[in-house]
Amino acid sequence: MKQFSKKSRPPVIWLGTNTCAGDMLSLLNSLEPGYQSLITDLIDFRFNYLLGSAEGDTATGVLKAVTEEQRGKYILVIEGTIPTRTNGLYCVVGNRDGKPLTALQAVRELGGGARHVVAAGTCASFGGPYAAAPNPSESVPVQAVLDRKVINVPGCPINPDWMMGTLVHLVQYGEPELDGFNRPKIFYGDTIHDICQRRAYFEDGIFAEKPGDPWCMYKIGCKGPVTYADCPNRQWSGEHLSWPVKANTPCIGCTSPEFPDGDAPFFEHLPDINLPGIKISANRFARLAGAATAFGISIHLIGSILTGRVADTIKKDFSGGISRKLLSIIKNTDGKRYGGKN
Amino acid sequence: MKLRQRVSLLIRGKKPRHSGTARLLHWLYAPAVLGSALSGFYIHWPGSSLGFRKMNTARETHFFAQFTLLFTYIARVMYGLKGKNYREILPNRKTLSDMAKFLKYEFYLTDKEPKFPKYNPGQKVLFTGMVLFVLIQIITGLSLYFPKSWQKTAKLVGGLNPLRKLHFLSALTISILVTGHLYFVFTHEYKKMKSIFTGYE
Repeated sequence: MKQFSKKSRPPVIWLGTNTCAGDMLSLLNSLEPGYQSLITDLIDFRFNYLLGSAEGDTATGVLKAVTEEQRGKYILVIEGTIPTRTNGLYCVVGNRDGKPLTALQAVRELGGGARHVVAAGTCASFGGPYAAAPNPSESVPVQAVLDRKVINVPGCPINPDWMMGTLVHLVQYGEPELDGFNRPKIFYGDTIHDICQRRAYFEDGIFAEKPGDPWCMYKIGCKGPVTYADCPNRQWSGEHLSWPVKANTPCIGCTSPEFPDGDAPFFEHLPDINLPGIKISANRFARLAGAATAFGISIHLIGSILTGRVADTIKKDFSGGISRKLLSIIKNTDGKRYGGKN
Repeated sequence: MKLRQRVSLLIRGKKPRHSGTARLLHWLYAPAVLGSALSGFYIHWPGSSLGFRKMNTARETHFFAQFTLLFTYIARVMYGLKGKNYREILPNRKTLSDMAKFLKYEFYLTDKEPKFPKYNPGQKVLFTGMVLFVLIQIITGLSLYFPKSWQKTAKLVGGLNPLRKLHFLSALTISILVTGHLYFVFTHEYKKMKSIFTGYE
């Protein structure tokens, strides 16, 4: 087991809001360091929505105590979106003084005094599936309700290393270098496409036609070229055994801010196009646009031929033999009626 | 004289229409647009129908075509601003009233062909559309080519997937505009088509 330095373990609050709990469960799969090492050597878990046994005022009392006693010292990790509809009542994280404590209220109270705020998973980072259309709870990501920097660790779910590594970095070295979406560059610094083991197949044009084929997944909608994550190198999960493309299925881009509404359907190269009342695939839209263009041009050309405009153009701009030949072709097509006009 | 009439399309006219610089730039960005479109649509949907056998060839073509387009676009915009010939292209208030006459003729509601200065309202809209959509292509294309350093553009539209969709839709619009341009070139006034080669109509 890797030994950490003797720095005092910072208190950590792991708050679950509108979430499937997948990110916490994924973290529990971490092997190096493992969960035991995490809680004994690295951090001091004061509150964890999934693993804690306390409830009611006992549980929420811990939140209050940490906020008051450890101000500026604790790390707040939030897993899930924050519903804002009806003042946040679509997610209650506990009861306090006989009243429901909403996720919105808890995140705002705890977020202000935290040393670092970390959004665990794509829902907390960018909205993800819990803020997907029609979003009846009007859920938003953590950053939308806090007026301070939030470190985003997206993934659906997160790779255990991404969260563990971020926590280790925060405790040992401070804030990691972040990209434009506040994701740690150590885990989200390259696109999956750039470090994919099947990149050579892409360059050579050897593509999978269906899931299960052992080639480049680009043609069946792989989002690797537009997704930042180190899945090809790190692999999943705690044992680092495999990852989607290695399992012959395309990357669905779960670490991207637009996931899932903005990159679905997962087996299409481009997201769907939303027109008023209609949702249409990009390829179908392109085919329809091409057909409409061809149709419009054909109709106009037929009109130009029938009204003698094409013949006029040829007669006006050509002289001699070429003109006569072209005109004879058009006259044969149009008949005497329009040929006579010129 | 008779021979001259027979090959009139190949002979330089008397009325100047396009300067040498405008023609040079036109014949640089025309193949660049074509190359970008063909390689771009191949990259979007790899298949053998667009003349590429390997993704790498398509990407290299796209690379050269896109940077040729970028530099010729900048040069054409600068040339248009310096010589003030952008006024011939950009639609103005008169274009709106002219458009009604133009459309009336193009939809066969009248036989009387309206006369316009250098460009008709349809051309003005088409060329202005090209200027705008090529600019969108350049911004979205560079953001996709340099995704790390241009991350703010991706953030502006909500991520790389929406950015890629925007790039595709813009390419589609440019392809439609180019198709319309070619259609009118080959069916309307050959002496004007001639001028893009010789400079005179």
